[in-house]
Amino acid sequence: MPFEFKQCISLIESTGKKAKTLRELRDLIAIISVESINHHTYQYYLRRRILEYNNDFAHWAGESLEERTLSEYFSNIDPFLFKDVNDLRRALLKVIDNYLEQFPEPREAMVGDEFYFNEAIILLFPAGLRANNLAEFLIAIKYVDPPSLYYHFYEARVRLGSGIDDFSKWVEDALERKELAAKIRNIDPLMHTLEGIREHLSEIVEEEVRKDMEVMPQ
Amino acid sequence: MINEYYGVAPKGDLILLQKLGEKMKNRSFLHVNATRSGGGVAEILQRMIPILIELGIDAKWEVIKGDARFFDITKKIHNALQGNSETITREMWDYHFEVNRKNAEACQLDADAVLIHDPQPSPLVEFRKKGKWIWRCHIDLSNPVKGVWNYLGRYCEKYDAAIFSVGKFAQAMAIDQFIIPPAIDPISEKNRELRGDEINETVVKFHIPTDRPILLQVSRFDRFKDPIGVIRAYQIVKKYNDCILILAGSPASDDPEGQIVLSETREAAGGDPDIYILLLPPFSDKDINALQRIATVILQKSLKEGFGLTVSESMWKSKPVIGGAVGGIPLQITHGVTGFLVHSVEGTAFRVRQLLNNPELAKKMGDHSKAYIRTNFLITRQIRDYLSLWYHMENKGRSILEL
Repeated sequence: MPFEFKQCISLIESTGKKAKTLRELRDLIAIISVESINHHTYQYYLRRRILEYNNDFAHWAGESLEERTLSEYFSNIDPFLFKDVNDLRRALLKVIDNYLEQFPEPREAMVGDEFYFNEAIILLFPAGLRANNLAEFLIAIKYVDPPSLYYHFYEARVRLGSGIDDFSKWVEDALERKELAAKIRNIDPLMHTLEGIREHLSEIVEEEVRKDMEVMPQ
Repeated sequence: MINEYYGVAPKGDLILLQKLGEKMKNRSFLHVNATRSGGGVAEILQRMIPILIELGIDAKWEVIKGDARFFDITKKIHNALQGNSETITREMWDYHFEVNRKNAEACQLDADAVLIHDPQPSPLVEFRKKGKWIWRCHIDLSNPVKGVWNYLGRYCEKYDAAIFSVGKFAQAMAIDQFIIPPAIDPISEKNRELRGDEINETVVKFHIPTDRPILLQVSRFDRFKDPIGVIRAYQIVKKYNDCILILAGSPASDDPEGQIVLSETREAAGGDPDIYILLLPPFSDKDINALQRIATVILQKSLKEGFGLTVSESMWKSKPVIGGAVGGIPLQITHGVTGFLVHSVEGTAFRVRQLLNNPELAKKMGDHSKAYIRTNFLITRQIRDYLSLWYHMENKGRSILEL
């Protein structure tokens, strides 16, 4: 079965809600829509990514409140460990509650630097690429647009509900290459940008293709 | 025309444009603004309308007409929405409405989707006939004069949705609000690739030496763009690194304050032969393009900014940009990755020195910049977003739409 590459884009919708203090952020995280939590955590990887941060809350704590410790706590949350978004919401609230218990109250964000809660509408469409075998898959991985990598490598973990990405699943199910699938699953999604993911995937797959092509001299 | 974007814009955006074009085939999409030429909105519409037509959409563009009094009122409304103290009397609001009423009689407003750009034509919504009506606000609404916004907001609430360039510009309104940043056109005269001889033409024309690093800021001579702050930063840098500074902008003959700021800038330059203050006439797009391409480091040290698309223009040319952390600039520059965000003259000088002393870092940032603009700030993305929004409005209630 060939691998059909898909791609997604997000259209950002404002909820009209914003927080200027950590307490306001906490109160809004407690009631904001699931779509907004999704947008500020999972979909962070679809947008620009600074490796220091793993979600918009960590980004805001680090850049706008300048609370590095709080930012570290937020960044340490792995969203893919949660089966339910509301469990992720509770984890975010716990980080804030613990922080407010242990540290002095952070200052207010400057005007214009408040946390703006948004949601996203996702449009999904074919990326116009199909891979029939591992060599074609390698070429596609090298050239496909970054949002396609997001869809198959990050979004799949939530969509499939098993924490597994589309690439390793196809390699295992369609190509019956368990070892290669395991190698792909070893790439830590939290520690790379989309371009970094592309680089690691290409390296691993290229090594496998090369092995397939090698001919032992008679 | 869309073929010109293949190999330039992301392939996915072009695929999605085709898909959305198929969905909206032969349906009418009307844009209305206040000017046919001049200004960023008209510039984008000139390119966008032919692309929409090529996609199979019945795209139209209407420009409202008004007299000097009307545009004087709308200029005041514009300034008040950007936070300047202005008084708009009841009489002025009535005239604003009256001119729009007359335009509504003259324009064909019946379309399947109607996108009204900025406050000037916003009362047209009172004369809507059919279709989805969207208000597109291009200006900085983060701190509007309350009374003025409250009045204008009455029109805006009658739309089906509003679009803002930056999240913080969104307002408390009962309609859906979307965030769609503006974009640059990669194949326009201002942004297309230039040949060596074309670049050289500009270098010769302005007698610019190319034997030393070049710092550049392209902007109007406006206090909010802080040209004097740029000179101060250059003077600090100059103690450590030999370089030249180019400040390029329009002469702004119709703007008395522009003349004052220009004189102050000249005075701050103090006859330094390595500071080039260039007064560029309108339609100097190719020269601006060339200047951006010969620059080593580009500055946009604004103190207040709507979006600041000159940042995207510079980043598209693979340049590291140092920008003031205001308006839409932080959306374009990722601090430490695609450039630096600064808050002071000293910070600006420090970051310039860092880039001049680390050409590898500057190159890496420039490369990241181009890739980032390609994904996020090209006109194809903007058209894609407008069509996606229209498609979403017709399929409401679904947060994932598969095409």
